[in-house]
Amino acid sequence: MSWTNNRAGRLVSGLAPLLLPYLVLFCGGVMLTICQSFGVFTPLPHAGDALDAYTKILTDPAFFTSFGFSLWVAMVSAFCAVAAGTFLAYRVWQLPAKLANAALIYKIPLILPHISVAFVVLVFWSPSGILAAMAHSLGIIQTMYEFPNILYSGWGLGMVLAYTLKGTPFAMLLVLALLMRFDVRQIQTAAMLGASGMRIFFSIVLPRMAPAMHTSFIILFLYGFGAFDIPFILGESRPGMLSIHVYNLYFKHDLARRPEAMAILTMMFFFAVIFIIAYSKTVQRLENGVRKL
Amino acid sequence: MPRRCTLILMLLILVLPSLLTFALPARAPGDTLLKTPFAQIQEQARGTQVRWYMFGGWAHVNTWVDTYVAKEMKKRHDIDLVRVPMDAGVFINKLLNEKAAGRKTGSIDLLWINGENFKNAREADLLFGPFAGRLPNVQKYVDPDSITHDFGFPVAGYEAPFGRAQFVFEYDTARVQAPPKTIAELRAWIMAHPGSFTYPQPPDFTGSAFIRHVFYAVTGGHEQYMTGWDPDLFAQKAPLLWDWLNDIAPFLWQKGKTYPKDSAFLDTLFSRGEAAFSMSYHPPHAQNLILQKVYPETVKTFVLDDGSIFNTHFTAIPFNAPNKAGAMVLANFLISVDAQLSKYIPENWGDFPALDMDRLSAQERNRFQAVDLGSATLQPGQLAAVAVPEIPAAYLEALEQGWKEHVLDK
Repeated sequence: MSWTNNRAGRLVSGLAPLLLPYLVLFCGGVMLTICQSFGVFTPLPHAGDALDAYTKILTDPAFFTSFGFSLWVAMVSAFCAVAAGTFLAYRVWQLPAKLANAALIYKIPLILPHISVAFVVLVFWSPSGILAAMAHSLGIIQTMYEFPNILYSGWGLGMVLAYTLKGTPFAMLLVLALLMRFDVRQIQTAAMLGASGMRIFFSIVLPRMAPAMHTSFIILFLYGFGAFDIPFILGESRPGMLSIHVYNLYFKHDLARRPEAMAILTMMFFFAVIFIIAYSKTVQRLENGVRKL
Repeated sequence: MPRRCTLILMLLILVLPSLLTFALPARAPGDTLLKTPFAQIQEQARGTQVRWYMFGGWAHVNTWVDTYVAKEMKKRHDIDLVRVPMDAGVFINKLLNEKAAGRKTGSIDLLWINGENFKNAREADLLFGPFAGRLPNVQKYVDPDSITHDFGFPVAGYEAPFGRAQFVFEYDTARVQAPPKTIAELRAWIMAHPGSFTYPQPPDFTGSAFIRHVFYAVTGGHEQYMTGWDPDLFAQKAPLLWDWLNDIAPFLWQKGKTYPKDSAFLDTLFSRGEAAFSMSYHPPHAQNLILQKVYPETVKTFVLDDGSIFNTHFTAIPFNAPNKAGAMVLANFLISVDAQLSKYIPENWGDFPALDMDRLSAQERNRFQAVDLGSATLQPGQLAAVAVPEIPAAYLEALEQGWKEHVLDK
């Protein structure tokens, strides 16, 4: 027993240079956020109950609309990005070596900041943007009001578009990394035994790519759920994204409302933790029922 | 044993940062500065650096500060001016964090501030002062009655006046021949031209100011609100505003389902022709954009007869400013006749002076009158005729919150 203890102790002390900043900065920040959400350590002395902020938020139907909307945008964009990324990664992997090198351009959106992708979407898709101007000069539409209202449809399509653009190469990167170590002979054998292309993809390749797909889905989903930059440019007023709501509460309202901002952040944090746990558990259960290759 | 030790260590690390907030900040030595004669302060500030944190979203204002102000400060006072662009809400939070961490010497010397941010800063005790009364140019040129309150919150000398702003609408004479003259006419215009009017979404500064104009106009004027926060009065009057805004909502840009997130966004919609009007809390804003070739020359500004809200904007010194003497010298220079005049010229900025013209010499007054404001900007007389004061900050907060609940999320 003492042997394991010592080992754990050594491990922790070895990791200390990394753990310390993490604990101080990250955990310190989370602690302070939670404290302030209960009205402790707030910039102005908090008058009232510790749970005031939570009561106020949880009795506001607009909060749930925003919450649901953030979920929707994150879910749809993460799903589209992972689906597109997986498909493209598979096709790129199948390319002959020469073309595969050329396909490296897929990495370009990876180095673009989110905010620039948001601007690209805005410049192209707004009713007076590039696509509308092109459609107009081609005579497809007569006035800019006829251009389909992508950005302000109430469904967050502009944000979904931007997140998908940004997330697809990310999913590709992760999936390709797995595929590179994939044994082609498995596919060749299946083909020789008469499996169709579809069958090969769904029965052999997809299960192999699944871990990368799950990981990228979790990362993209949680990023889309909580991030601020793309909604700041492309978000609509109603329903608003939670991150924008928090930003407004934090920077643009009375200091007395600080606990509300922090309470929303706390709930978002715990939602993210619960989501990761629930997602991993579900995936685990599903995979236990599947025969491993 | 080691495991328990690490556990305790981890817990400590976890709790430590929040314990830091207990450490109370001590005031930086600056209180004696308030008793020092100004000539001595100027001497003390010579050869130092002043870091001015200010909103950085206007290129022409940045240029004015970096060229004219920086050059004059160097020439007159041998002070190096460093402009740091930052939104007011952000530097307030920076100061809050510094205060919570007990940082006695910060990095900000002077702030450009007013309204809610000033109220927040004062309530959290983030400012040094009262210093404004110590500045010779404030004593000499500023009407003390004009700077007693900032959005209904007592100034008490914790900020020095810097400029004046007043709300105007912008329109393009090539597209709209006769702009509305009252709030009632504006409503009729919006309903007659669906899809071409909108306002920035509160709590944006400009959008919030727009709904206050409607609030004044549909509830019988501003006087009733000037005595301070009255929840009963608000509960009784606010529904009139929500009704007005909800009535026009279906006729707004994007059918009122979404609003521009800030005034820059509305400016873009206006310049691209998606919106027929823009609005600004700065009378020379349209002229600036004409000079920058963003707006066509045909753009003009107008005010409504129901009233146009004005306010004063200020400079203030943080509690932990490393160079308070230098900050006071800069604040004093900014309210000097020379700086106010330079600021008033539209090519530089066009911001209205915060000086009392009656306290200037005839010659100084003439210099102001000789400034050509440009074709888009209204004359000070036209603006003064409809000027109404800002609402106390408590109403402002309630209006912004109520707008979200009763108009946006309805």
